[in-house]
Amino acid sequence: MRRIPHPKPRREGKFSFGTEGSPDLKFNFSSPKSDGKFATPIGKGDWAKGGKGGKVANGGKTPVAKEAQSLELRVEQELPKNVKCLMDCEAAIILEGIQEQMVILSEDSTIKLPESFDLGLRYAKTGCYYTNPQSVRRVLEVLSKYDVSYSEICVIANTCPETVDEVFALVQSLEAKRRGLSEPLKDVLDELAKLKKST
Amino acid sequence: MFFHIVLERNMQLHPRHFGRNLRENLVSKLMKDVEGTCSGRHGFVVAITGIENIGKGLIRDGTGFVTFPVKYQCVVFRPFKGEILEAAVTMVNKMGFFAEAGPVQIFVSNHLIPDDMEFQSGDMPNYTTSDGSVKIQKDSEVRLKIIGTRVDATEIFCIGTIKDDFLGVINDPTTA
Repeated sequence: MRRIPHPKPRREGKFSFGTEGSPDLKFNFSSPKSDGKFATPIGKGDWAKGGKGGKVANGGKTPVAKEAQSLELRVEQELPKNVKCLMDCEAAIILEGIQEQMVILSEDSTIKLPESFDLGLRYAKTGCYYTNPQSVRRVLEVLSKYDVSYSEICVIANTCPETVDEVFALVQSLEAKRRGLSEPLKDVLDELAKLKKST
Repeated sequence: MFFHIVLERNMQLHPRHFGRNLRENLVSKLMKDVEGTCSGRHGFVVAITGIENIGKGLIRDGTGFVTFPVKYQCVVFRPFKGEILEAAVTMVNKMGFFAEAGPVQIFVSNHLIPDDMEFQSGDMPNYTTSDGSVKIQKDSEVRLKIIGTRVDATEIFCIGTIKDDFLGVINDPTTA
């Protein structure tokens, strides 16, 4: 049974990746112009190895600053204009169609689908909570009148939120538009609830 | 998040592939070269969905190979900072846990796990709340937020958090 996580109880003391308190612990995660490596003055912090992840903390609980602004979605700024965001349910339909074609093409043994295809298809199917992706797209497109970007619409569709508070908590970039968006968002969520698959 | 995107690539073809099936050979080579690869800008190329245009071929001096500019449509998967994903936990240790969302690996440090969850070692290491009501272990499904990404030649690796509101365990395999 699918369970929605609830808001966390507020606690004293915030974590921050010591940008203020500990100047050594300065992280720059996504830098498109770099070769993609995490840049840390500590040295070759390799996040892929779980054991070294603890090196960051240097043994106690280091404060982590809530960089709310830098954690907002910036999809449209980082990708070219001709890119179309797909909801997981739309991607699942496209990838299933390709998989069916592969059954026909599989006579040529040199054509094989890569591992990332199977992983992508499995992920898209598990993230698919709706019976009809076109109806979902139609319902959510109403939000574009309120300056909600396509990437934000896709995040709302993929997370399948139940309340307006959940939407604003998950998509922080919408918080600034909360006043004008709350009512239409509530109507949209009510419509989406009718389109959900029964579990 | 999945995207549908048009990309362009210069494909080199050996003259032995010329003839009636030149286009098919070019498309097969494109699929073998591109599907499953990953880049920092576009993420994982999950599947090619169509060919938009194949330009005129240019013979390369000295080799006889011909270069064709090919525009193709494809589905890519790329995680973004700030994105919310639902991932399946693959490994739990005292530093945190690893999870998978499609082809992307995500690590959630114990510093980004709520304070009321403690690591429990054993045959099935897990993070559990003090009252035992919520448990994160292998095969649990969690909703997390991406706070950083790293790309290398063959994969994308992310750092995530479950410390914010409405993040955490969705499905516990022991109660499913």
